[in-house]
Amino acid sequence: MEEVRAYIESGILELYVLGQLSAEEQREVEDMAAKYAEIRKEIEAIEIAMETYAMSNAVLPSEGLDLKILSAIEVLKTPGEAPSLPTAITEKTVTEPVQAPLVTAAYDSRIRSLRIALAACAALLLISLVALYSAHHELSNAQNQILALNRQNQSFAATVGYMKQNTADLQKLADMPADPNWKTVKLAGTKMDPAAKMIVYWHTTGKHVMVDNSKMALPANDQSHQYQLWALVNGKPVDLGVFDVKPDTAHILINMKEISGAQAFAVTLEKRGGSVSPTMNQMIVMGGVSI
Amino acid sequence: MAPSKKISLSEEDLVLALKSRETIAVQALYDMYSGALLGVISRIVSQQEIAEDLLQETFVKIWNSAEQYDASKGRLFTWMMNIARNLAIDKVRSKDFRNTSKNQDIENNVDFIDAQSKVTFNADILGLKDLVTALKPEFKHVLDMVYFRGYTHVEAAEELDLPLGTVKTRIRMAIMELRKNFN
Repeated sequence: MEEVRAYIESGILELYVLGQLSAEEQREVEDMAAKYAEIRKEIEAIEIAMETYAMSNAVLPSEGLDLKILSAIEVLKTPGEAPSLPTAITEKTVTEPVQAPLVTAAYDSRIRSLRIALAACAALLLISLVALYSAHHELSNAQNQILALNRQNQSFAATVGYMKQNTADLQKLADMPADPNWKTVKLAGTKMDPAAKMIVYWHTTGKHVMVDNSKMALPANDQSHQYQLWALVNGKPVDLGVFDVKPDTAHILINMKEISGAQAFAVTLEKRGGSVSPTMNQMIVMGGVSI
Repeated sequence: MAPSKKISLSEEDLVLALKSRETIAVQALYDMYSGALLGVISRIVSQQEIAEDLLQETFVKIWNSAEQYDASKGRLFTWMMNIARNLAIDKVRSKDFRNTSKNQDIENNVDFIDAQSKVTFNADILGLKDLVTALKPEFKHVLDMVYFRGYTHVEAAEELDLPLGTVKTRIRMAIMELRKNFN
């Protein structure tokens, strides 16, 4: 028993009760306790002392904490398990089983409504996305249509402008025979190009000079050359401006510079922009004014 | 205090009821030990609200691990007390607790709690306070550090700058003194 006495006096049992020992040391103490009733008794005495010490240092919990804790335990109990309550505490605990499910039910319904809200949000988002996509699609369609209409409009405007000009030119041509001041001068091809010919209209009092594009039979000029119209006034050539001959010329009549008196008209092929005096060997057509 | 409202069971009955998952066990445990357990928790975590949350956690853990309690290895209260103390220590060491609470220095908790006059005394051990306070201060201090504040006896030795052997002796002397007083 001397060994047991020494073991007790080593203070290891106090540390055991205070939870201060390693797992191995704990097992050792438990083995000793199983072997010696005296050690078991000593441990119990220490435990009771510590228990009493804890009791003497108790702190009173708030009112109602017991109900809170009991309802937490109730929730943990397996559902459906009938609570076996002794009559002594029935009065105190009878509200618990009612309260706990109520709390859970409220919680469940909140989760359910949150879930519904989430689903609704997702659906709304999806609908919005589809609407946005379709609106975007329609908008870009409309933009394309506007562009196409714009182009069409421009081409109509151009056509209308062209036709107006044509009409005005044709009107002018139609009016010419009624006006004795309009002279029609036929220019015939020279030996440079015998097939060439063209017509110049000249208003003797108004001094207007116009070239008839529709009755023009000159070869097309290139980029570096232009035709230049001359009036022969008392044997001297006077510059009446340059013009181009292109296969797709839009205007019927081309206005040239004004001249008050002329005996003949001639056209030479000059460098682009015209020359001060005509290059005689490049004269392609000429014709005299018949009085 | 009206003892007629409180439930008190013998330790064997209590363990039996707890292991067969009868709610009366929790009711009885609460009536018998909630103050003592909260006393331990409050000395580690001084904020009453958190301490009471921890007390609830303690009861839940007692309920859930009732099968693991082995009566041959110690009294029920010792087992519950260790659960409560470990939960409180875990809480104090947890990151969120350190970040959020304006902590009382753990050193001062005992004095703080006592100063709040929340310490209540069981009717059965009336007059105990005088006996406890009669404990030699140096013995009481070491015992309180280990029992109430979550120090290990090794940490307590370092903190007090005492040899480990001295700390062990003082713990033993303090408990001997308590046993003398309580008997």
